[in-house]
Amino acid sequence: MKISRLSAWFTIGIVAVFYIVPMLAMARFAFQRVPVIKLSWGNVFQKWTLQPLVDSFGATEFQRAASLSVTLAIATALVTIVLLLPTMAFAHLSSPRTRRFIEISAVLPFVVPAIALVVGFAGTFRDTLPILIRSSFGLVPLYVITALPFTHRTLENGLAALDIRTLVNASRSLGASWWRTIAFVIAPNMRASIATASFLAFTVVLGEFTIASLLLKNTLPLYLSYSQGSNPQGTFGLGIVLVVISTVFVAMSNRFGKKVRS
Amino acid sequence: MAGSSKRRARHLVFLPYVAFLTIFLGCPGLYVFRSAFATGTAERSPMIEAVIGQFRGSFVFSLQLSFISASIGAVIGALVAVAVVRLDTVRGLRNTVVGYSAVAANMGGIPLAFAFLAAFGMQGLATRLLREINIDIVGWGFRISDFWGIVLVYLYFQIPLMTLVLVPALDGLRRTWAEAAQSLGASSAQYWRLVALPILTPALLGGFLLLVANAFAAYATAFALSSGGSRLVPVQIRFFLQGDTITGKTNLGYALAAWMVIITGVLVTGFQLLMRRAERWRR
Amino acid sequence: MTRNIEFRDVAKSFGAVNALVDFAIRVDEGELVTLLGPSGCGKSTALRVAAGFEICDSGDVLIGGTSVVALPASKRGTGMVFQNYSLFPHLTVHENLEFGMKVRKMSRSQRTARVGELLDLVRLAGLAERYPHQISGGQQQRVALARALAIEPQVLLLDEPLSALDATVRVEVREEIRRIQRTSGIATVFVTHDQEEALAISDRICVMCDGRVEQIATPHVVYRSPATPFVARFVGKVNDLAVEMTAPSRVRLRGHALEFAVPPSEVQSGEARLLIRPEDICVAGSAGGDGLQGRVDGVQFGGATTSLDVAIAGTNHVVRVSDSTRAMQFGIGDAVSLRFDTERVLLTRE
Ligand SMILES: Nc1ncnc2c1ncn2[C@@H]1O[C@H](COP(=O)(O)OP(=O)(O)OP(=O)(O)O)[C@@H](O)[C@H]1O
Ligand SMILES: [Mg+2]
Repeated sequence: MKISRLSAWFTIGIVAVFYIVPMLAMARFAFQRVPVIKLSWGNVFQKWTLQPLVDSFGATEFQRAASLSVTLAIATALVTIVLLLPTMAFAHLSSPRTRRFIEISAVLPFVVPAIALVVGFAGTFRDTLPILIRSSFGLVPLYVITALPFTHRTLENGLAALDIRTLVNASRSLGASWWRTIAFVIAPNMRASIATASFLAFTVVLGEFTIASLLLKNTLPLYLSYSQGSNPQGTFGLGIVLVVISTVFVAMSNRFGKKVRS
Repeated sequence: MAGSSKRRARHLVFLPYVAFLTIFLGCPGLYVFRSAFATGTAERSPMIEAVIGQFRGSFVFSLQLSFISASIGAVIGALVAVAVVRLDTVRGLRNTVVGYSAVAANMGGIPLAFAFLAAFGMQGLATRLLREINIDIVGWGFRISDFWGIVLVYLYFQIPLMTLVLVPALDGLRRTWAEAAQSLGASSAQYWRLVALPILTPALLGGFLLLVANAFAAYATAFALSSGGSRLVPVQIRFFLQGDTITGKTNLGYALAAWMVIITGVLVTGFQLLMRRAERWRR
Repeated sequence: MTRNIEFRDVAKSFGAVNALVDFAIRVDEGELVTLLGPSGCGKSTALRVAAGFEICDSGDVLIGGTSVVALPASKRGTGMVFQNYSLFPHLTVHENLEFGMKVRKMSRSQRTARVGELLDLVRLAGLAERYPHQISGGQQQRVALARALAIEPQVLLLDEPLSALDATVRVEVREEIRRIQRTSGIATVFVTHDQEEALAISDRICVMCDGRVEQIATPHVVYRSPATPFVARFVGKVNDLAVEMTAPSRVRLRGHALEFAVPPSEVQSGEARLLIRPEDICVAGSAGGDGLQGRVDGVQFGGATTSLDVAIAGTNHVVRVSDSTRAMQFGIGDAVSLRFDTERVLLTRE
């Protein structure tokens, strides 16, 4: 009894160290102006500074990359909700078979790795619709697809917790149209799930590298990868910022997700 | 008449979704496979060329990396899950571990590569700390961009992913099963061997497959660690299909991509089937 | 060696909650004793202490005359049946039944023979190859019982084995349990919070409240002569009326003039509660005499018995009466007179 608890703590302790050390190392590298070789107990707390990060924030290229990533994140979340919510709401109203079909189709993106998806995408549209490849917004549909398994799961949980049939019948009997029903009855009741799905979409977009890199779009992760050489400290600082942001997003989606289930 | 046209109208609602998936997932997928099977001027189908020629090594390397990182990740992740469930009485522990696991499982890409470079690179903090206690990993030949280095980095998202898969499965083990086994005379080891493990097998296997697929499809981290020169299959695909190199052999790149889809497809399908089986006993 | 189980002043608390206080009962070979009480009174705790899943703070548990508190659950030789979902889901019925014998390293032929016997015993011979999720709840519980019996335990411990079943199946399975218990003669502790169930199948009932034993007696005694007001209220239906003592052994309903005699009790004066079962009240037409006068307020037809709710004139007391011979003669609004069987009255302060 005692021993099993002890070994449980031991396991968690070791893994916690493994989880924490790389993040700490990245933070130290980004914020302390002391090379590792010169590091000693005497100077552990010296020369800490946020200056490199602040400098990075000032770089116009960074600002351009950041605003592109944020725009793409918001666009992806919007398209996801507009595309999925009505579809899934209707699927809940029609047969379980339809629901099952949507469910299976939503995990398909797991089957197609990002690298395969993007080369197929580029091949398909290079000649037919080159604008999709030239414009940065061409990334949005790919991001919607990449995030689909997660966003679908979230909205599905939300809809399952809602007695959607009753809601729709009530709204329809009061004379509301389908679209009004979805926009003014279902969507407000799904606030928590919509927020969760959006946070997950943000996380996917802000971290995505493969697709943007093959389509040569300067999103934030790409900026990080090529500015690493010229300004390593600042870039690692940005890496931390990205980790913190996605941690916050995942934490928020966890919290809202819990609200949905209760 | 009216009824059937109404029903048809209802199905139209699914059109945008189905069209979206077809255009942005179906067509690219199809394109990959069509190109992969197009023989063109070459004597062998690119699909065959991709696995027997010079790229065989890439597949072996990618698969080895995936299996090894998945095996280690699955074992450690499972141990963490067992520890979390065992320490359930400790307030806040479960939420912390599961919450951070969700974060770490989605980590990857560039920031993760940075973190491991800063920790385990030649000039890394952890490398330095280990040297302080006379563990010279650089001297042993450890490089963060090498096979074992990438395995170590991948563990950062493999371990938590396994934990996330297994915690619900462990929650599904009812206390009455353990107690029934005990009162029937089973020792704790016998309970684990005869009851708990068989019940957990689908989730364990499913989680393992998911981890393999996860590592196999990963690209960004390895790319960033090795500055683009790695032998991983996704990096090879990039080599073929980005821009203008060796135009004659693009189909080979598509064949590599097609093989990736096939392999992840098999793994993910296996995962889904096993998880459905694991679900059946949970009720 | 006799196959019995005895709790000797067992105490167990969880933090501030005293789940068991000086808990002492003995269940002999061939006997089925129910632990009956409201939720949270410590019934499961008593079983779990006996089975070895909880360690008691003080006291002793003896099985077959030897103390078992130091033994782990796997060495105690108790057969345990849980409320539900205790069958191993990945094993067939046959394999479930075999489990205990397997860990005891019995030979295959012995095991197969024993499984056959057990399946016959619980009348499930055709279901050996089914998985738990392929059989009904009632069948699952019968398999669980057979599995517990497979290891030939010294005592059988059943923790609300029927409460997850619906009413008709519940009665069916409980009769099955009783039959099997009778034939095997095994000392059995049966936990339930359903008093009807307890009355129906027990040799003796142990009524519990807040971790303490209130009364241990045969169902008949528990019902007819409850040792404490708690037992009277918990087992069966009882009228619970506010009264005033006019003298020792004389009471009147609060707000009513009529006095009547009651058996002597420790309650001597002042306000009190009078407990009397519906069937201990005679009902007659109002012309019929000098009893409590009232008016029928409601009639419940219950098949074999009919009960009346009688509003006592001039007060707000409503008395439930189920006089099997006469109740059915009256309808709502009829004036009636009631006479309490004063021998069966229980007086209490609260
Ligand atoms: N593991 C435990 N930790 C803390 N308190 C407990 C634990 N087990 C039981 N208790 C408490 O001990 C008391 C007795 O619990 P027990 O389960 O024995 O009740 P019970 O009579 O079986 O009730 P029920 O009819 O609801 O099953 C309750 O107040 C319960 O909350
Ligand atoms: Mg209980």
